Amino acid sequence: MIKISNVTKTYGDKKALDNLSLEIKEGSVFGLLGVNGAGKTTLLSILNALVEMDSGEVEIFGHSLSKEKTKIKSLSSIIPQHLAFYENLSVKENLDFFAKIQKASQEDYDKAVTVNALNGLMKQKASTLSGGQKRRLNIAIGLLNNPKVIYFDEPTVGIDPKSRKEILDSIKNYKNLGITVVYTSHYMNEIEKICDEVAIISEGKLIEQNSLENLLLSKDNKLVSVEVVYCDALKELDVKFLDETNIEVSKEQLCELLAILEEKNVVIKKVHYGSTNLEKHFLKRTGAVDV
Amino acid sequence: MFSAMIKKELLLVLRDKHALMALFVLPAVFILIMSVAMRDQFSSKNIEFTLFVKDSDKTQMSQEIIKLIANDNKLVQIKEKSAAQFFLVIPKRYEKNSKKLLKINVQKSLKENEIEVFKSLLSEHILKARLHYMSQNVEEYSSKASRTLANLEISTDKLYKVKYKNSKKLPNATQQSVPAWIVFGMFFIIIPMSTIYINERKQNTLMRLNSMNVSVFAMTFTKSIPYFIINQVQVWIMIGVGVFLVPLFDTPALAINGSVLAILEIATGLSLAAIGISTLIAVSASSSEQATTIGGILNLLLGAVGGVMVPKFIMPESMQTIAEYSPMAWGLDGFLDIFLSGANTQDVFIDFIKLFVFGLVCLGISMIILQIRIKKGL
Repeated sequence: MIKISNVTKTYGDKKALDNLSLEIKEGSVFGLLGVNGAGKTTLLSILNALVEMDSGEVEIFGHSLSKEKTKIKSLSSIIPQHLAFYENLSVKENLDFFAKIQKASQEDYDKAVTVNALNGLMKQKASTLSGGQKRRLNIAIGLLNNPKVIYFDEPTVGIDPKSRKEILDSIKNYKNLGITVVYTSHYMNEIEKICDEVAIISEGKLIEQNSLENLLLSKDNKLVSVEVVYCDALKELDVKFLDETNIEVSKEQLCELLAILEEKNVVIKKVHYGSTNLEKHFLKRTGAVDV
Repeated sequence: MFSAMIKKELLLVLRDKHALMALFVLPAVFILIMSVAMRDQFSSKNIEFTLFVKDSDKTQMSQEIIKLIANDNKLVQIKEKSAAQFFLVIPKRYEKNSKKLLKINVQKSLKENEIEVFKSLLSEHILKARLHYMSQNVEEYSSKASRTLANLEISTDKLYKVKYKNSKKLPNATQQSVPAWIVFGMFFIIIPMSTIYINERKQNTLMRLNSMNVSVFAMTFTKSIPYFIINQVQVWIMIGVGVFLVPLFDTPALAINGSVLAILEIATGLSLAAIGISTLIAVSASSSEQATTIGGILNLLLGAVGGVMVPKFIMPESMQTIAEYSPMAWGLDGFLDIFLSGANTQDVFIDFIKLFVFGLVCLGISMIILQIRIKKGL
C-alpha cells in the first residue's frame, strides 16, 4: 500500500501539490490523470524521493519516505517521459551499466530483457533503435532492480500504435508479476485499457479517486465501446473508431453495429458499457478544455 | 558501482570523435605548427642588432673589441647614436683595469630575450679580446703561463653591468610550445564533459541515477576519473610530439631536464584544475551550447592571460602580474621550470598546490550546485 497523506509542495508562489491525499493498493495498476501542470510529475518525483515535500506524510509499503529514502528508492523505479539512457552506448552496455549501479541479479536482468523483447537488440547502438524499441529499453532499465512499484511518467509519448500496444501489454504483465504500477498519461484510452483505479488531480488537489469501473458506469453514460480483432473488413465500416480496434456507438445503435460486424465476419472481443466516458468524465471534473 | 560509472564515462568520451580531435589532435597540431612557426623567433640565427660604440679607452683592447664586433654580421654598427638599439660605452682605463665594466644603454622597446641574445653575442667578443690581450702580455714571461691563461674561464657577469628583470632561463620554440599547448589541451575536456553532463541532465539520466541511490559525490567523482586518465595520456602524447615529431621539422626537440615525478605532479594538479573548472561550467550551464561557448571563451582568456598564446616573458610587467591569477600560468610555469631548469617535485610544489586547491574549490562548488539542481528536479 502506498499512502499519501496531506502532501504539499510549493515552487515559489505556485502550489504544485495542495494537501493531496491518496491511497494506492499494492499490486494494482493506478492511473494518475491531470492536465499539464496539475502536479502529476511533482507527485511522482516526491514518491521517488527525488524532490522533497514541504509537508505531509508518505508511506510506501510500510516505509516512511521522510525517514527511509534509500530503502524506498531501492523498492521503486521511475520510467521517465524522456529516454533516460545513453544513446552512444549499445543496448547491452546500457543495461549492464544500470544493472551494476543497482547490483541487479542475473535473473532480474534476464527478466527485464525478455519482458521488453530486447534479446535481439542487445548489440545495437541505442541511437539506432526505433522509437518503440527505445521506449522498451527505457522501461527495461526501470525493471532491473526488481521494483515493487514502478512509476510510468507518460511512457508512450510520440510512439507508433504498434509499439504503444506492446508497451501497454507489458505493463499489464507487471500486474501478474505482483508489481504495483502508477501510470500517468494524456491518453484516456490507455488508462481505460490498463488501470484498475484512477485518480484525477487538478491544480495540485485530488478531484476524485475511484475504481475505473465505478467511474465509467456513471449514470449519465450513454456510450458503448466495442473491441474487435483487427481485420481488413473494418476499413469498410462507417463508424467512429476510438483506435484501430475500438468502435464507439450509442447504446441505441449497439444492436445495429453488432449485426453489421457479424455480417462482415468481424470477431468481437469485448463490449464495454460506458468505456468512452473517461475523457468526458475527466473534462467535466477538471473543467479542462484539452488534455 | 564506481567501476561501472567510470567505464560508462570512458566509453562515452572515446566514442565522441569531435571530443577526441579537440583533446588529442588539436593540441598536437598546435605544438607542431607553433614550434616550427616560432623557431626563428626564439633562435638567434637571424637576429641582427644595431649598436653605437663609444670608445673612451682607445687602447689595443678596445680596438680589438670594435674589430670583432665589426666582423660579426649580427651586430651592425651605426653612426647615429639615437637610432641604435644598443649604445655601448668602453670606459677609460678599460684595458688597464680588469675590474672596469662596459656600459650598455638599451632602447626601451627591446624585449628581455633580445637583450639576452645581445649579451651572449657581445660576451663572446669581449672574452676573445681580453684573452688575446692577456696572452700577448704574458707571452714575454712564459709561453706555458700563456697557455694556462688562455684556457681560463671568465664569468660573463664580470664583463659588464646590465640589469635584468629576472634570472629565469628562456625557452626555445619547442620548450615554449609543448607545455603551453599541453596546458591548453588539458582544459579542452570542458567540451566532452559538459556535453555529456548536460545531455544526462536534460534526458533525466542524472535524475534516474539519483533515483537509484547514486550520490552527487559519486556522480562527480566517477566523472572526474576518466578525464584525469585522459589528461595524463594527453600530457605524455604531447611530450612525445615535442621529443620525437617536432625535430623532424628541423626544429629543436623538447629536452626534459627535470624529473618525471615533477611532470606527474604538475600534470596531476593541472588535471584537477581543468576537471574542476569544467565540472563547474557543466553543472552551471543550461545547455551544451552555452557550456561550450562559456568554456571556450574562458579557455581562451585563461590561455591568453596565462602565457599560452603569448609567452609570459615577453609580456609587459603588468600583464605578467595578471598572469599570476591564471591556473594555466601556474601549470605552464611548473612545466617550464621542469623542462628548462631541471626542477624537481619540491621546486614545483607551490604551483601544484595552487592548482590542487583551485580544482578542489571548483569541484566543491560544483557539487553544491548539482545538489541544489537535483533537489529542484534538475
